[in-house]
Parts: sequence; C-alpha cells; structure tokens
Amino acid sequence: MKAIVSVKDAVKNYTLGNVVVPALRGVTLDVVEGDFIAIAGPSGSGKTTLLNLIGCVDTPSSGTVEVEGKDTRRLSERQLTTLRLHTIGFIFQSFNLVSVLSVFQNVELPLLLQRRLTGAERAKRVMGLLDRVGLREHASHRPSELSGGQRQRVAIARALVTQPGIVLADEPTANLDSVTGQHILDLMKELNRTEKTTFIFSTHDQRVMSHANAIIRLADGKLAEGGASNGLAQPASQPGRAPV
Amino acid sequence: MRAWFATFGVTAQMAFRNLFASRLKTVIVGGIILFGGLLVVAGNSLLDSVVAAMSRSVIGSVAGHIQVYNAKSKDPLEVMGRMMMGDPDIAQLDDFSKVRQSLLKVPNVKAVVPMGISGALVTSGNTIDLALEKLRNAVKRKREARTDVDRANAQAQVDAEKGHVRQIVSVLQTDLKNATAVLDARAIDKEDAEAVTRAASDQFWAEFDKEPFESLEFLENRIANQAADADLLFLNYVGTDFQAFQKSFDRMKIVEGTMVPPGKRGFLFAKHVYEEQLKLKAARRLDQIKEGIDSQGETIAKTPDLQRMVRENVSQVREILLQLDAPKTADFRAKLQRELGSPEKDVGKLLAAFFQTDDQNFHQRHDFFYRELAPSLELYRVRIGDVLTIKSFTRSGYVQSVNVPVYGTFQFQGLEKSTLAGALNVMDLVSFRELYGFMSGEKLAEVQALQKAAGARDVSRENAEAELFGSKAEEAPEKAPRKIEATTTPGVAMRDLGETVGGKLRREETRSRVFPPGEVETGVVLNAAVILDDPKKIPETMAAIEAQGAKDGLSLKAIDWQKAAGIIGQFIDVARTVLYIAILIIFIVALVIINNALVMATLERVREIGTLRAIGAQRRFILAMLVIESIVVGLVFGGLGAGLGAVLVGIIGKIGIPATSDVMFFFFSGPRLRPFIGTSNVIAAFAIVLLVSAFSSFYPAWLAMRVSPRQAMQEDE
Repeated sequence: MKAIVSVKDAVKNYTLGNVVVPALRGVTLDVVEGDFIAIAGPSGSGKTTLLNLIGCVDTPSSGTVEVEGKDTRRLSERQLTTLRLHTIGFIFQSFNLVSVLSVFQNVELPLLLQRRLTGAERAKRVMGLLDRVGLREHASHRPSELSGGQRQRVAIARALVTQPGIVLADEPTANLDSVTGQHILDLMKELNRTEKTTFIFSTHDQRVMSHANAIIRLADGKLAEGGASNGLAQPASQPGRAPV
Repeated sequence: MRAWFATFGVTAQMAFRNLFASRLKTVIVGGIILFGGLLVVAGNSLLDSVVAAMSRSVIGSVAGHIQVYNAKSKDPLEVMGRMMMGDPDIAQLDDFSKVRQSLLKVPNVKAVVPMGISGALVTSGNTIDLALEKLRNAVKRKREARTDVDRANAQAQVDAEKGHVRQIVSVLQTDLKNATAVLDARAIDKEDAEAVTRAASDQFWAEFDKEPFESLEFLENRIANQAADADLLFLNYVGTDFQAFQKSFDRMKIVEGTMVPPGKRGFLFAKHVYEEQLKLKAARRLDQIKEGIDSQGETIAKTPDLQRMVRENVSQVREILLQLDAPKTADFRAKLQRELGSPEKDVGKLLAAFFQTDDQNFHQRHDFFYRELAPSLELYRVRIGDVLTIKSFTRSGYVQSVNVPVYGTFQFQGLEKSTLAGALNVMDLVSFRELYGFMSGEKLAEVQALQKAAGARDVSRENAEAELFGSKAEEAPEKAPRKIEATTTPGVAMRDLGETVGGKLRREETRSRVFPPGEVETGVVLNAAVILDDPKKIPETMAAIEAQGAKDGLSLKAIDWQKAAGIIGQFIDVARTVLYIAILIIFIVALVIINNALVMATLERVREIGTLRAIGAQRRFILAMLVIESIVVGLVFGGLGAGLGAVLVGIIGKIGIPATSDVMFFFFSGPRLRPFIGTSNVIAAFAIVLLVSAFSSFYPAWLAMRVSPRQAMQEDE
C-alpha cells in the first residue's frame, strides 16, 4: 500500500527566548492510505508537534515530512496553506467552529476557500455530510446552540467536506464525555471505512487507542521504547504496536 | 468568479457577524467615528457659513471682492479691523483714472471704486462755547438794534443767555467745591479757581452789560477751557467717490440726511459711530439699557452691565446740566418734580433721582426722557448739517485741517449693529486727499487766495526765521490770543490762529463750492475696491489685475477681501486652524482607541484565526476580513455621523443662530446665521472617517496575519 505520509528523521526544535527546546528528536514513520492511527503518549511527548508536521502547519527543523509525496520543507507558506486546504482536514479538541457562522456555513467554509464548486454543488456536499453526521436538522443553527458532541460532529463534517486524503484529529474526544466520545469515534471509524479517508488522531485515552489500527507511542519526542522504531504503521501484530 | 464572490460574501458575513458579536467594541469605536464625522461636517459647514456671511459683510461694506493698491507700499493694506491709530505706510496711486482704465480692461471686473482710508482726531462741540457764542450774538444784536422794541428783545435774549452761562459757571463752582473737598489744595489751579469765583459773583454779572465784550473775552479765555465737556473723537474714514461707492456697495442706506451730491465736499457718519460716539451719553445709555432689556432679555436687577449704565447715568448728569439755561432749568425742574413726585429743587439731584431706574420704572422713564426732556437737549454733539473740522497729521507730518459739512448718516443693511462694518465713516475724496497731505487743485487755488488775502510774501526758507521773529518792523498780529469770529456750530471747536482768516474763508465757501468731477477721477488715491461679475474667480482675477497693471506700467498689488479685512480676515484662518487641530486630535484619539480595540479583538480571536488558517485560509483572507470590519464600522458610523451633522446643520439653519453681540452681527452678516451644508464637507468627512478606520486596522490586521495555524491547536487550559 502507498504511504500517504512519510516522516523521516523528523526533528523539531522550538526556541523559547534563547533556549532551544527539542520537541521531536528524530521520528520516522509512514502512514498508508486508509489507515486509522492513534498517536499516543503523555503530555509533552511531541504528539501535537508530530500532528503539526503531518498537518503541514509546521515544517521540521531537520529531516523530511512528505505529504502526498510533497516535501513540506520545500513549500512556501502559501503553498502549505493550499496543501492543507485540499489535502488535510482538521478536527480539534475544542471543536474550533467559527462561532458567528451557522453549522452549514462552518461546514461550507473550506469549500468557499477552495473556490471550486458552485453554490448548488456546495450545498449538496454540505447537506450530504451533515446527513452523515446526523445534523441535517441543525444546519441553520449556531455552534453555541449545539452540544459538545454535536459540535464535534460539525467539525468532522467540516474536516471531510473537501474530501481530503488525511484527517488529523487532535485529542478529538478529550472534551467530551465517554459516551459521546465513543459515538464520535464510531463515526470516524465508519467514515474511515466508507470514505477510505486516512485518520490520524492523538490521544492518551486507552479506550480511544483501542479503536486504532495501529498506535504510535511517543515519549520525549521519540518513538517509545519498543515502539515502531521503523515507524511503519503496519497492522497491529507488528512489533512495537500495542495490542488492539 | 462566482466562487470569488461567494468567498467575499462569507468574508463580509463573518466581518459583519463579528461586529455584532462584539457589540460593545463596535459601539465604542463607532461612537468615536460618529462624533468625528459629525464634527467634520457640522464644524466645517458652520465655518463655511460664517465665512460666506462674513464675506458678505466685508465685501458688501467696504472691501469689495478685491482691493488694489500700490505694490511699493511698505505695509499691507487693511481696510477693516484697524486697531491702532496711525496709518499704515501705503504708497499712493498717482492717477486713479489710469488705474481704473487698466483695471476695467481685466475681464470679470465690474466696477472700481477709488478709496483712501485714514483716521483723524476731531474735537466735538463744547457747550460753553456754544452758550458764549449765543451770548455774543445777542450782545451784538442789541448793539445793532435800531428800535426800542428790537433793543428790548435783544436785552431779553442777552439776559436769557447770561442766565445759561451763569448756570454753567455755577456747575463749575460746584465742581470746584467738590474738588476742594477731596483734593489737596495744591492740586487746584489757583487762577482757575479765582476766575470761577469771579465769574460766579453777582458783581461780575452786574458789570457785564457795561463792558460786555471784555467780560465775554474773560469768560472765553478763563472759563471756557475749564468747562471742557468735549471729548476727542477718533474717526476712521474712507475717502471715496460717493456715487461710485453707493452704487458698488448697494447695502449702503442713508439713515438720516441725504447723500452727498456729486462734486461736493461732504461727510457721512456711520450710523453706529454717530450713535456710539456722538450721542449724549445719558441718552445713549438709556438706548442701550432698553436694547438689553427688550432684545437680550436682560434685567437691571441681574445684569451688571445694565447696573453700571444706570450708575453712570446717575453720576454723570453734568453733561445735561451744562446744556440747560435758566428757562430750561426751570422747565426741567417742574417736569421732574411732577414725574418723581419730589419737592427737591436742585435739578442735578432731580436728574440723578430720575436716572436711578429699575426694571419696574425703566420703560416709563425712558419714554419720559425722550418725550419731555430730549427735545430741549442737543442729543448729538454734531448735528446733520454742521460743518466738521477734521484735523489730521499729513504724511509729511504737519497738521492739516479740513472743513466738511455733515450730510447725514448711513448704515449697511443687515449690518446695522456691527461695530466692525460700522466703524468707517465716508468722506469725499478731495477732502481726504487734503487731510492726507496731497495738494488738490482747489487747495492750491485756496492757498494762493489766502496768501493774497493775508498779504503774504514769498519767503525763502533760509530767511523764514528772521522774517518771523527777527524783524521788529512787523507788528504783532493782534492782541487777543483767541479772538474768534462767531462760528455757527459746536462741531468746529478745533480753532487755532491759522483758522481765523482761512477758516472763515473756507467755511463760507465749503458748502457752495463744487469741485470739477475730473478732480475725483484723476487725483491720487491709496487703494481701490474692485467689484467682480463672478465672485468665484477671485484668485484668477487678482493675477490678471497684477499682470494688467504691469503691462500698463502701474505697480499694482491685488489682495482678496479676506486679506483686506486684516485681523478680521485672519480670524477665519485662525478658526479653521483651531477646528482642524480639534478634528486632528479627535481622530488621533480615535485612531489610538480603534487600534487598541481591534488589537484586543484580534487577540481574543487568535484561535479562531488560527483555525481558519489551519483549514486553509490564506493570510489575505484574514486581512480582508479585518479590513472589511473596520471599513464597515467606518462607513456605517462615519456615514451616520456625517448624516447627523448634516441634519444638525439643517436644523440650525432653519432656526438660525442669533447674533448676540455687535461682533457677531458682522460675522453673521445680519441678526442670524443660517448655516448651510456643503456637499464637499460631507464627502470630506466620509473620506477622513474611512481613512482613519482603514488606517487604524493596519496594525491589528498585521498581528492577525501573523497568527500561526498552530495556534488553532492551543488549548486555553
């Protein structure tokens, strides 16, 4: 299977004043199309940094990150933005919906930024997705009128509306109760299955990890001891992978 | 393209909704912008209206659209708002006809009015001079009387006039008594005191008829100078061609008397000057109190200014007392006793009691004064028809005096109460030239006639001193130092030796003599007012005038009415500067506050902006969103402010701002200012507001553009 994301010896350092803080210390992994992967690890282990690199919101200090075959270090800021717009969907821990826009408009927003579809096409796509996430009736509501789980479903719809190759989710269930979190994960899993969309999500919740096809464990910016040092996100039977 | 519109649509929608979402911020920022827009529109409109009104005042009263004068002048020309005595150094224009010819060649020039502006001191009449003059005439008449009846009549008149003079002397005696009470004895001139005592004695008056002329001379020399109730008047005047002046400044209206006929010497008082400076002070104060009560809603009880005028009227009854001869004194006593119900005999005290007015009795007293007392008084120190002797220092420094008959008073319609527009009196150009030190043809002839009459010889400058003082062969001219031929008016008190011969000659002729019209045309002027067909083209016409002048060999300088108005004209610039500074400050403050509010708003929305960036919004999308927000606020509130300002100006325009002072009358060109809205002001307000709101969003927009998509992931834990 083809690797949609390929990370090689990725190092990311942040500077805080004069101090260089290493966030990732050389991570190598491949993600294949259609995968459903969890990135696990304690706070500060580099989960978010790795997601940022894969999500093209940041570039590695050294090493390479290739998304859909494009080396992100060679892309300009604008090109990165365009790459994000067309290739990646984002789901955030706090949902991050635009509070002043309706559910429909929130989902439609990436399509508007893409400027590819006509109004009718957009409406069809948006309503189809809202149908999938069970919020058709709520299309004209404001985010503030929705529950947490509903909001996250809107966010999922927004992430998927451009039909991206990869959806990145940063602790998608952290702000939800366990039942709702379970529903969200079921939804993601179902979309992964039906749409063949690759999902990569960070979490430190054991139950969430258990849904993943593979788990990448991070500690101190490296793949954890006994983790997939070759980084290949292969089926769970591979060494370094947690049992499912 | 349609997708682009859709993107813009969503950007705008987000901008709008953000504005609604943070209402407080929007209202604060919008409020400031609204106020700024309102100020720009209302302030500028108001100022423009004042400028327009004032230009009507200035252009319509004396300046015309453009003033032209000699470019070689050392000082700038100011036709109005002259605060100091003494003339600016303006070089003359030698031949007005040439100037006129040259100016009329310039397109857009409608009329040219010759002018010269200067000022002079005039001493107005002295009541005792007048009384003594009457007495002298009566004595003379008695001498010349042929029949017993005539003689008896003359004697009766002599007695009456004697009574008046005695009355004046007794007023002086009272003054003297008061003075000895408060002053050190050394401060009082002994000789003056003795003279008054003598003039007040029964013996002096018993002997008066024996040697009347000697007694008169004593009174004239020793008493008259002590009864100095005459004030020095400083009169500003413009010498001009009356007919051209009236035609060009058509707001000019004759109030009393008549226009000076063509070719005649003459003087027209500005009505305002006539009332303010020449009217009997007590009467003038009564007028002002009435004006204060009737038009300004003031009361004597509450307004200090009115109280002051009442006090002054009570304490300054002397100017009235001096006018009263015996019969008038009796008349006043009877009337005042009846009016006041008082047994008091002293007219001075009665008058003081009469002028002690309050809000209850004021109108009755005012009416009583004008009905019963005023007809017996000289209300004005110079009457229409009098000959005014004006003395002035000429350019070369010697004193020149000219007699001009007063034909009447005038005022400019709409500017009746304006001190500034009413400060200039008008005089014929020929007299003006003489006072300014130019020799007119008429004057030259007169000097020759005088020389002939006086038997003067031409004396060279070197020999002048010897001729005057060294030669014993010459007799001293006459013994009496102030032997004065009878004059007819109180307006000619400025007498000196030079006038004893020349003055008489001139006075006789001044009314009847006509100067040739060419003399006005060809002579010297200082400046000229230019009236235009199209007042909007002032700058172009000014340039054309100077160019034409250069072509015709005249060095002409043209200034617009605003500059010609001097300090008054500068007021406009000052007011505009103040307004602009105020607007500038407000908008700087607005800029800071708006900037601050937007920065805060941006910081609050960092995650939202980060999210937008993460899901694929380019930086320019963020920029557009914020700039649209600012511009929308600017447009909506700026428009509202400008609209409100326009409405405000419209309402004020309907009602009008009343002019509450003389100066405002001038600035408003009438009793009320009716401001109008200038379209350019509304557009300017809009532009400024937009600029400011766009400008103030630069920094926050820059901040927002630097928000990293990573910040979308940051949790506010």
